[in-house]
This record gives sequence, C-alpha cells and structure tokens, in this order.
Amino acid sequence: MPKKKKGSVAGAPESGNNFEEFDLEKMEKETEEMLRLRFITKDNSVFERTEGGFVSLKMGEEFYPRIQVYHAFPFTDRDSYISIREADEKAKEIGVIKNLKKDISKESREMLEEQLRLRYFTPTIEKIINIKNEYGFAYFDVLTNHGACRFTIHMGGGSVVNLSDTRLMITDLDGNRFEIPDVTRLTSPELKKLDLFL
Amino acid sequence: MKKEDIQASAETDMTLEGEFARGYVVLTKSKLVIMTSVPDEAEVFQFKGVGSIHDAKVQKEKAWAAKFLPFEEVHKLDVLRSVCGGILYSTAKKDQPDSVPDVQLAAFTNMKVGDVLRVVRLFDVLKEKGELTEEDLKTDDGEEYCPKCGTMYPDKDRKICPKCMDRRSVFLRSLAYFKPYIGKISIMVLCYIATAGLNLVWPYFSGTILYDKILNKDTKFLEFLGNPGMEFVTALGLIVLTMFLTKVTIQAVGILQGVFTAKIVPVVVKEMKTQVFKSMGRLSISFYNKRQTGSLMTRVLSDAERVTGFFIDGLPYLFINLLTIIATAVVMFRMNWRLAILALIFVPILFTVSFRLMPRLWQFYGRRHRAERSMNARLNDNLTGARVVKAFGQQESEMERFDKNNDRVRTAELALVSFDNKFYALYVTFERIASVVVWGLGSYLLLKQPNMHLGILITFTGYVQQLNGPLDFMSYAFRWFTDSMNSSQRMFEIIDAVPEIVEKPDAIRMESIKGQIELKNITFGYEPNKPVLKKLNLNIKAGTMLGIVGRSGAGKSTLVNLISRLYDPQEGEIYLDGTNIKDVAFKDLRKNVAMVSQETYIFMGTVAENIAYANSNATMEDIVNAAVLASAHDFICKMPDGYDTVIGSSGRNLSGGERQRISIARAILANPKILILDEATASVDTETEKAIQASINFLIKDRTTISIAHRLSTLRDADRLVVIDNGEITEEGTHSELVEKKGTYYKLKELQTKALALKGLE
Repeated sequence: MPKKKKGSVAGAPESGNNFEEFDLEKMEKETEEMLRLRFITKDNSVFERTEGGFVSLKMGEEFYPRIQVYHAFPFTDRDSYISIREADEKAKEIGVIKNLKKDISKESREMLEEQLRLRYFTPTIEKIINIKNEYGFAYFDVLTNHGACRFTIHMGGGSVVNLSDTRLMITDLDGNRFEIPDVTRLTSPELKKLDLFL
Repeated sequence: MKKEDIQASAETDMTLEGEFARGYVVLTKSKLVIMTSVPDEAEVFQFKGVGSIHDAKVQKEKAWAAKFLPFEEVHKLDVLRSVCGGILYSTAKKDQPDSVPDVQLAAFTNMKVGDVLRVVRLFDVLKEKGELTEEDLKTDDGEEYCPKCGTMYPDKDRKICPKCMDRRSVFLRSLAYFKPYIGKISIMVLCYIATAGLNLVWPYFSGTILYDKILNKDTKFLEFLGNPGMEFVTALGLIVLTMFLTKVTIQAVGILQGVFTAKIVPVVVKEMKTQVFKSMGRLSISFYNKRQTGSLMTRVLSDAERVTGFFIDGLPYLFINLLTIIATAVVMFRMNWRLAILALIFVPILFTVSFRLMPRLWQFYGRRHRAERSMNARLNDNLTGARVVKAFGQQESEMERFDKNNDRVRTAELALVSFDNKFYALYVTFERIASVVVWGLGSYLLLKQPNMHLGILITFTGYVQQLNGPLDFMSYAFRWFTDSMNSSQRMFEIIDAVPEIVEKPDAIRMESIKGQIELKNITFGYEPNKPVLKKLNLNIKAGTMLGIVGRSGAGKSTLVNLISRLYDPQEGEIYLDGTNIKDVAFKDLRKNVAMVSQETYIFMGTVAENIAYANSNATMEDIVNAAVLASAHDFICKMPDGYDTVIGSSGRNLSGGERQRISIARAILANPKILILDEATASVDTETEKAIQASINFLIKDRTTISIAHRLSTLRDADRLVVIDNGEITEEGTHSELVEKKGTYYKLKELQTKALALKGLE
C-alpha cells in the first residue's frame, strides 16, 4: 500500500473508496477532491424536507434523498462550517456551508437547524436544585430548558468540561449532555453546590 | 392493543421535535406501534444512575397517541445515532425510487439507545420468523439495581450502591488495616491514657496544693503527707519535684508513642499502596481507558498517607482528648458546678456546629483532590509529550496551562485553609470567652462566698486552660477526619472496583495447547451499542498463519484484543482448542498468547530485563538467542553497555525499529503457542522490515499466528487471509484464491503494486 498518496495530508481520512476502486487516475482525482472543501451555497444547492422528516439535497446532477448535517464547531461556532454528509454509515462529506446565516436561504436554514437540533440535543441547565457527591459519582438534580432532569456523572474526570471560563459541559454516564452556558448567572447557593466542579 | 400481544418494547424519552417526552416503541406479532405522549412540564426525567427499581415499574396515566404500522409497510428499521441519542427510522426499499422514503419514527437519548436497538433486532427476527423464542428475548442489556434498597447501580459492572455504602463502613474498613498491630497500638493507647491522667493532676498540683495547702500553710496537708512536723519549705520542695517528675514523665511517654507511630505508619501506608496498586493491576483495560492517569497516580501516592495519618496520629488523640474533656468536666463539676456549667456550656454547641459543617469540609477536600488530580494529569500529559512541546516551541503556552492548574490547586487549598481557620477561630473565641467569664464570676464568688478560695479558682481556671488543648485538637480533628475519610473512600473505590474480565473460580488449566482458535458470532464494541465487530465467525487451525487485511478502523486490532482477552465480547464466544476462553485460567491464556504490536512499550530497566519481561527465569543464553532471532543482537552489542544498557523512561532512547525488535525478542522468549502480530513492521524502514520479517518467519514456525498488516507483502506467507470491513468478514481464502476472486483483496493488491510502480517512475 502506498504509504502516502500524492499530496495526502495527515489528518485527512484515508481514501474511503480503497475497496471499490483501484483505477489510479480516478483515485487521484478523488484524493484531490478530498483535499478541497466544496462549499454549498444557495446558488448551487436545493434542500428539501422529505416526507419522513429528513432533508434531501440536490446539487446540480447529484441528488441525495437523505443527508446528515454536522457541526464542525458545535461549541464555539454553531453557524459556521456546517458539514453536509451522505446518509450511510460512512457519511462521506458532500460539502460545507461556510455560514449558515448568509450562504443559504432562510427556509433551507430552518430545515437544517431542525436536523441539528435533534443531533446535538443538549438541555441547558437553568437552575441547580441539588448536587450530591457519593462514592465516585455525582448526582445532579436540575431544571433545564426542557424540564426537570436527574442524572449522574462519573467523578473520575472528564465528565465536566470547561468550554470557556464560564461555560460548562456536563456529560452523564450514558453520554447525554447538559450545558451551563454561563456559571456567573447562577445564584450563590447554586454556585456553592457546583463548587466541586469549578 | 392487549398486553398479551406485546412481543417486545422499548421506552423512548424524546419527541421528534427535540423535547423530552415519554414514548414507547412496541412490537406485536404483526405491527410496529409507536406511542408518544405530549411533553409534560411537571415530569422529571431520570437518567442512568438515578431512581430505583420501584419507579422503573410505575407508569403514570397519560394521554397517549399511537401510530400503528403493519410489518408489510415497514421495510427495515434502523437507528440513526446522534451525539446525544438517536432517531429510530424505517428505511426505504433500495432500488425502488417510488417506495416510501426513510421515515423518522421516534427519538431518544443515549440512555434508551440500547433498548431501542434491541427492538430493532427483534423486529428483524419477528418479521422473518413470525415469532420470538426465549433465546431471542434473552438480554443482559437491562439496568441493574441494588438488592438492598433498589437504587439503580450507576455502573452495573461495579455493583456498589452509593446509598448503602456509608462513611462509617469506610471508617471501619480503614481501621481494619491496623489490626495486625494491635499490641503496639494498645501500648500507644496506654501511653495516651497516662498522658491524659498526668495532665489532669497538673492543675491540681499547681493550683490547690501549691496555693491553698502549702502557700496557705495548711497543717492538715502535712498530716496528710504523714509528717506533721515537716517544714513547709520541704513540702514545697517535694511538690516542685513531683511537678517536675510529672512533666518529665509526660515527655517520656510522648517520645515512646512517637517511636511506635513511626514504626506502624510506614508499614500500613505501604500495605495500603500495595493493595491499591494490586487492585489496579487486576482491573481490565477498559477501566484505564475511562480514567486519567494523573487521577490514578494521586490515589496510589497520596491517598494512603492521608488515610493512615488520621488513624495513627489522629484517632488515639481524639480518643484521649475526648477522655480528657470528660474527666476534666467531671472534676470541674465536683469543684464548683456553677462555674463548670459556665465554662462548659459552649462545648456541645461547638461540636454540633462542627458536625453540621462536615459535609462542607468534605466538599473542600473533594475539590482539592480534583484540582490536584488535574494538575497531575496535566503534568503527566506534558512530560509524555515533551518532544512535541519542544518541537513546536510551545513551552510558554504549556507553562500558562500548567499555571492555570496550579492556580486551581492553590485556590482549593486556600479555600480549605480559610474555612479551616474559621473553624479554629470559632473554637478559640469560645474558649477565651469561657475563660474570661470563669475569671469574672470566680472573682465575684471569691469576694461574696466565704468557702471559695484563690487556690480553687486557680485550679479551676487551670482546668479551663487545660480544656483548650483538647478542644483545639477537636477543631482540627473534624477536618482531619473528613480529609482521611475522603481519601479512604477514593481508595476503596479502586479496591472495590470489580474487573469486567474475571477468571472463573474453577478455571481450567491448560498447560500445553495446540493453538486452534474459533470465534463464534462475535459482536463487540468499546461503547455499548456501537459495535465494532458484528456477528463475526472465524476458525483458525492450529499452527497456521492467518493474515487480516482491512482499512483503519475496520476492527482488526479489536479482533486480536478479544483473542488475548483484554476485552470480552458482548455476544458470542471464543474457543481455544475447543475450550471457551472464558473458562481458561488467565495464567495459561497469557502464557500461550503473545502479541507484538505497533505500540511497543519499553519498561524501565535493562535491555536484558526487557527481553525477559514475560519470562523472568530466562537464562542469559535464552536472552541472547532471542535477541539474535529478532535481529536485535547486533545493535544491542554495539551499545556501550550492551545487554546491560538501561532503557525505558529514564535511560537511552531507542529508535522505533530497535524498540520493535526488542519487543519481538520478548515474544520469542515468551515462546507462546499463539502469536499475534499487529502491524509489527509498520513503523520501520524497508531494510529493517526485511530483517524483522526474517525473524518473524522464524517466529511463526509451529505456532498459530495472526498477522495484521497494511502492507500486503508482509502477508505473502499466510496460509489464509481474511478481509475485514466494517466489523464483518467480507472475503476469505488463500492469496491466490483471493486474487482470482478479483474482489477487495485483489483491488487492494493492484492498488499497492500500481502505486509502488508509479513511485518507481517518479
């Protein structure tokens, strides 16, 4: 196997089509394509809601009956670099929307945001009722923007991540996420309960 | 829909609009039913680790909306995994453009993914066979609960209920470590009692006897001494001598107990550290993957000391100080109950307050531990990555990052100290107030009451002073106790952790094996519900070489991890010579399976020790022979210290190829029946690869070999090849069979040859 294909860069996924194709020219073309981001704008794309609640995409000749929508920067910038991917497990990238607010129409944006909302579902903690720390686990009793939740985290480290000095992301035992967008907005009794993690 | 009709079901907890709401996915014999409810603001959503078995059964009355889908209308079910859960959807029939497109059916959080996936699996079975057997329904996916109180275990592999595990038992368990030293400890306790007794008589000598009896020239006292004719100066001399001897004895006893402390503490600390380390070694790989190295280091290094400190220095003093307080109180009450009440009233108040503040302290200690832990982790990270830091010139920014962690430790420590100071201040304030009040009221009584003497007052205030020591200690003891229990709890957390992979109690000993391996229906994933291997079947004949080909992430390394039983498969079984490897004794399994992987690890020690890692009884001859066969002998001899060269973290650096060859020598010396080569030649140049390849060719003789390689040339000699893609075996056969088949393997081979040819042209 060639150790590095021409121009291939560390970090870029190895050619996903190794198995299907061995036509070198075609492969090189694909590799080259992979090295370039394809930007999706309102001029080269048509997004549509499908009957089943997903979104389809038409780009020139290509038609994708169902697409997946990923954030490239889910924490730091939710409007920039939205990656549109194929529906199957390999999720090959179709293209990137550089700015969700500017580059596509309002309708398309809403459609994609619906998909993103489900994929990145993260309740925001509005009120901390209680936090109990027992034998390697912490039990949270909180009120979120989606209602009251009780969940448990590992104290072993990595469950509470500082996204910034004031923003916390809390991940429970199953990997469900909860966010505190700004700890300074909590009351002082709440901060006291959260003290362990600050 | 009747209850009897339900074949299987799973709870869901979200709507497709992204709100929390209860729902169900139900399978009957002919229909898929999706039940949804309206989001209810009053409802509390409970996730893993919360709630008990009792609420798991309770279902609130709700208004349900149900969607019935006959099986004919559903082509296939699938789950689209998202970051925080998944979406159940039905898929369209392929190649039929006008069929119903993919339809979203239900959404759920990560907690429910396992249950929903089970329904998806059962749906396939039901649709195909029309019914479910016991076997199909058998599942171990469910949550498990504490049998005592019914609380859900936060981690079902570690069956410890945080509720039933209380602090007292942590205390008693820690105490158990001191049992072997009971003799020495009793002597220490005697010393403490002696100290307390002597301390108790001291104010009596310096107050009542000195002032009221001798300085007041009380003749009755001389009679009491048995010599009425004695001069008071002689009596004074006697009392001063007694007082002096009392003090000397107190000091001597103090030294004695110090000696004993020094004898016991290091031994117990060592014992605890050994046990924690041993428990860690016993735990499965997955335990390490979940935790930061820094955190684990803190537990071995500092926790044991913190636990022991309290037990040896703190506990006896606590006992003695309590005793002193009680005895002093009794004496004070007998001397003058009014003054005694005034002097002592604050003690119970202080104790209650302290007791109440303990949880706060507990938090402070926990926080300091976490700060220390993340600092350790940062340090560990930085030191391990020192090369990269230097190469990118990032020392400054690393310094900043370290400073941040260091700051956090400082803040935590400061917070702790300032809280502690408040504690101390509280105690001291009360003590001073008490002593002023006693002086004031005492002087008043001295003026008003004829039976009150100066000596009594001085003795009394002496006792009040005497209380200060024990009370100050108590202020400290509360935090000491908390610190110790906090550490001790963390220690037991490790000691109690149940390894995921355990040896059966009646494990089968297999001293010599043939090396036939069979994998039956193996499903495995590192995270639940994300399978890396899917229903994989594989049979490897004894003494043959199997080559595994596949792209990165296809599951090749995972497969060999299962064979060496670093992990257990979630479904399916692995047989070694027809015996389930779960039944084989660890010792025999490890002895017979050796791995040479891409990730070579060189331990601290000499080259010889590293080669003999798996076989410490190896002779010098064995070691050299192994090195020769691994084509390592040459470079080892060229090093100034030869086989005695110290390598590993503190010693000489070896190149990737050299490390690789040492690890091959290690495998040769281990002489396993089953050899696993996981990209053993990936990180070396072509020439070294040739040399290593030659050693490997020698190594694989008479062994079952499983070799994973990207470079297909490495696998030329394999008896059989399998291609793994996406967790499944897609092709298998010999090299020529696979080439003839013109499938994936052929394409890969062509691709490599062409690319190599092209390289040659350039």
